[in-house]
Amino acid sequence: MRRGFLLLLAALLLAACSGPTAFVEELPAIYPDYAGVTIPAGIAPMNFNLPAEYSRVYVRVSGSEGGSLRVRGRWAKFPIRAWHTLTERNAGGTLTFTVLGRRDGRWTQWRDFVMYVSDAPLTDYGLTYRKMPPGYTTYSRIGIYQRNIHNFDEDPIIESTLTPGQCVGCHTANATDPSQFLFHLRGAHGATLIQQDGAREWVTTKTEETIGNVAYCYWHPGGRWFAGSINPVRQSFWTGDQRLIEVFDLASDLVVVDMQDLSLVVDPRLTDPDYLESTPAFTPDGRTLYYLRAKAYEVPREVEKIKYDLMRADFDPQTGRIGEIETVIPASAEGYSVTFPRPSYDGRWLMYNKADFSIFPIDHKEADLWLMDLETGETRPIDEVNSDFSESFHNWSSNSRWFLFSSRRADGLYVQVYLSSIDAEGRCTKPFVLPQENPREYYHNTLYSFNVPDFTKARVEFDTRGVYREVFSDERVQATVKP
Amino acid sequence: MDKGFKAMATAVLGAAVFAFWMWAYPQALSYQEQNQLFLFSWDYFRERMALPGGFADWLSEFLVQFCYLRAAGALVFALLSVLLQRAVWRAAGAPEERSLYLLSFVPSLLVLVYQGDVEVLASFPVALLLAVALCPLFKKAGWHRLWLIPLAWWLLGPLSAIPVIVSLWGLFFSTDTSAANASDSAEKTVFLRRHFSDDLRKIVFSATLILWTGLTAFVEYRLLAAQYPPRDAFFGLNYYRLVESLPALQWVIPLVTAAVILVCGLHLQVHSPRLAAGVFAVLLVAGTWGGVRLAYDRDTFEVLAYDWLIRHERYPEVLRRAERYQPRNAVSACSVNFCLFTQGQLQDRLDEFYQCGTEGLVLPSIRDNLSDITSAELLWMMGMPNITLQYCFDLEASIQNGRKSGRFMRRIAECNIVNGWYDRAGKYLDILEKSLFYRRWAQEKKELIPDGALVAADPVYSYIRQVRFKDDFITNYSALDAMMALLYNQEKGNFMAAEYYTAWQRLKGKEGAQ
Repeated sequence: MRRGFLLLLAALLLAACSGPTAFVEELPAIYPDYAGVTIPAGIAPMNFNLPAEYSRVYVRVSGSEGGSLRVRGRWAKFPIRAWHTLTERNAGGTLTFTVLGRRDGRWTQWRDFVMYVSDAPLTDYGLTYRKMPPGYTTYSRIGIYQRNIHNFDEDPIIESTLTPGQCVGCHTANATDPSQFLFHLRGAHGATLIQQDGAREWVTTKTEETIGNVAYCYWHPGGRWFAGSINPVRQSFWTGDQRLIEVFDLASDLVVVDMQDLSLVVDPRLTDPDYLESTPAFTPDGRTLYYLRAKAYEVPREVEKIKYDLMRADFDPQTGRIGEIETVIPASAEGYSVTFPRPSYDGRWLMYNKADFSIFPIDHKEADLWLMDLETGETRPIDEVNSDFSESFHNWSSNSRWFLFSSRRADGLYVQVYLSSIDAEGRCTKPFVLPQENPREYYHNTLYSFNVPDFTKARVEFDTRGVYREVFSDERVQATVKP
Repeated sequence: MDKGFKAMATAVLGAAVFAFWMWAYPQALSYQEQNQLFLFSWDYFRERMALPGGFADWLSEFLVQFCYLRAAGALVFALLSVLLQRAVWRAAGAPEERSLYLLSFVPSLLVLVYQGDVEVLASFPVALLLAVALCPLFKKAGWHRLWLIPLAWWLLGPLSAIPVIVSLWGLFFSTDTSAANASDSAEKTVFLRRHFSDDLRKIVFSATLILWTGLTAFVEYRLLAAQYPPRDAFFGLNYYRLVESLPALQWVIPLVTAAVILVCGLHLQVHSPRLAAGVFAVLLVAGTWGGVRLAYDRDTFEVLAYDWLIRHERYPEVLRRAERYQPRNAVSACSVNFCLFTQGQLQDRLDEFYQCGTEGLVLPSIRDNLSDITSAELLWMMGMPNITLQYCFDLEASIQNGRKSGRFMRRIAECNIVNGWYDRAGKYLDILEKSLFYRRWAQEKKELIPDGALVAADPVYSYIRQVRFKDDFITNYSALDAMMALLYNQEKGNFMAAEYYTAWQRLKGKEGAQ
């Protein structure tokens, strides 16, 4: 019975695709551009759209290791379970896509394209990110969300509606492990929320000796420490038609916070008022702290002179003391700026951004991703993933075989998340934008940018019950400075 | 005669409310319209329905979009008012007694008073109307109320408690005269036993419904509104634009409405119906008049009027209003000065109106959804599209309930067109194309942008491109006058920059002298 039904369905499908079909020796203009990308097995279906003038699409996917899928509809929408089966069966192989589109009653078939299914698994649950309008100085609705990478489920972790008037800051987990994470809440009731194994603590990290609360943080792999930079951020606008906004820090210092007694390690070399120290990152062995440092200039007038060097400091995980400091990339001397250093969790690579100046590459069209081989110290631009628009914030998957980054390549303003894989030699694959159920509709209609994306090893458990009361109670644990 | 009286009274209510919005307070209609952007799309509907009270919210936004046209907006609010009054009367059981008829006007008039606060969203009267309209159904629904309550709470929000209250009242106070008619004590005993058992059943039933309503509120809060403060979730997420605010009338009006329905439903006999109706009419008119006077802040009223008139380029009317009364704040000064400029009177009449230094010429970035509109408008005309973009974006982002604005989004799209950022402009135009009143405009602009020559030939865009800064540098908000001077020096045809620069120096001089 079921077999008969399937046969009938196949016949109908064939009939629908019969008639005069034009063959075009070009790749189909699909959105997003998924032709030739490398994907992990088990990822959410890589649904795509044809240009709007095509009312119907028919797609056949064949795996090099066997298995196939056929779908048709207004856009290519693959069933999740069948897609997972197909990609898992073809891990290490390829998927070939045959695409037909119907326009004005006539079918067109394009040249087939392939997707590569990596043999490197992406075992993480998904992604976390902040969604916010590509804002200027005000926000209305923003929030931190988690997205299951294996399907299309997106859930809020916290939205600004829960804490009216407070801005939800960047979410930072410990090496993708959500059992230890923090984020900063800015506003009249601002504080740093630290959640460890489900227990919440609201901490004021501003002390008499420091210039503010920590903003950009990075956990020490041992979990006892986190480093954070203190950044009073401001924005200003360009007058021309090439660039719009410039984000800069009025000042910037760096401290290390001891979770045992919520005390701050304040090293005068990292809080020098003549310099801006920012965006720390620990190496996976926990013995080195990378950060950025730039000479301070008057802002916004001299903002173009602010160019950050990549620094490396020895770190003692027993005492939290900072040891020897050295310059790794003297970018300012060479006329550019380095931002967002992120060592891979296997200690093999360090990814960073390079821009003409400033610490916020997202507003810099020229900003690209670069890769440093931590064994040889060699650096190179990651041309496989860079575009003519800005590439910015990036992070590694828990097994360091995948990385994600934000980019404005879609329309020059709205930031999207892209994923790519890296092999043992440091070769990266063509990136793909985070899959959505109906990609064109989703990305074209959204008025949100994806901000500070990261992988999350498991689902983030965050109970909003009590958060509202805790935020507005102003009961805070005051951090102190270590003697 | 009764029927004629009722119809006439209802018609008077409708006409009065229509006249109020049409002539007395049209600027509030414009304000409501520019703080939302109703889209004809499934996603938009789904987004609204994701929260308790979402249907009332969606329906109200559908209605408020008509406020783009003043008469249509006034008609919408007048109809809501009339329908609410009729629904209250019907919920009361539509008694024959006409003396209480005017009592059913109280909720409509209270809503009118409440709407003096421009942050009251139309979803409040819409939800109130629908909730009252559900009362007759709830009265007859029996145990069906167990599924009607969650459904109504989801569609209308907490105001759906009104039909629950009214139906429970009806349960206890329905007229039963059989005891009085019982002829002997045995019959009375039987009756009392039955009565006692009925009462017990009613108490159990009522307690169940009350608990069920509370449980519904809690479950829907946890399922649908967990990212909202509990208080907002229980008092209505979509009835008021500002967060962390619960105006007293928001809970007083539902209680009064329930009380009015109950009182009207008591079928009270009045000795002198004509006199009672007359006295009541006078009280209603006087009460509404007093309430409106108390609820409508004059400065807000004027500032909104300036904004509305500037939106429609009725600049001389702003000046005429300001000659009679001008609020002493920077927003009004900025609007009046802008209108003076448009009439070529900025230098001559600057001293005739309230001034507050250079802020009264161009306001700094203020985080609300009203203050910077005029500044954004004049900076656009002067040739600073990027600051206009910032201001319009911030204005839109300052709408506290997170809604978008057709008016601001339109200007944002234009700033992107002027900058040659057509992909971004296309995104906004596609959104505007899903609206009713911005659709045609968006389609016209979409036809322009694939062809750079067409954009360059557009008189407005080519003018802005001609007068804008030729060099790219970071805006210095504390030296806007220097930026105006630069604009004028690079393009002598930009007389607006020159006029504003001159006025700036005069006001700066005054500030220094003080």
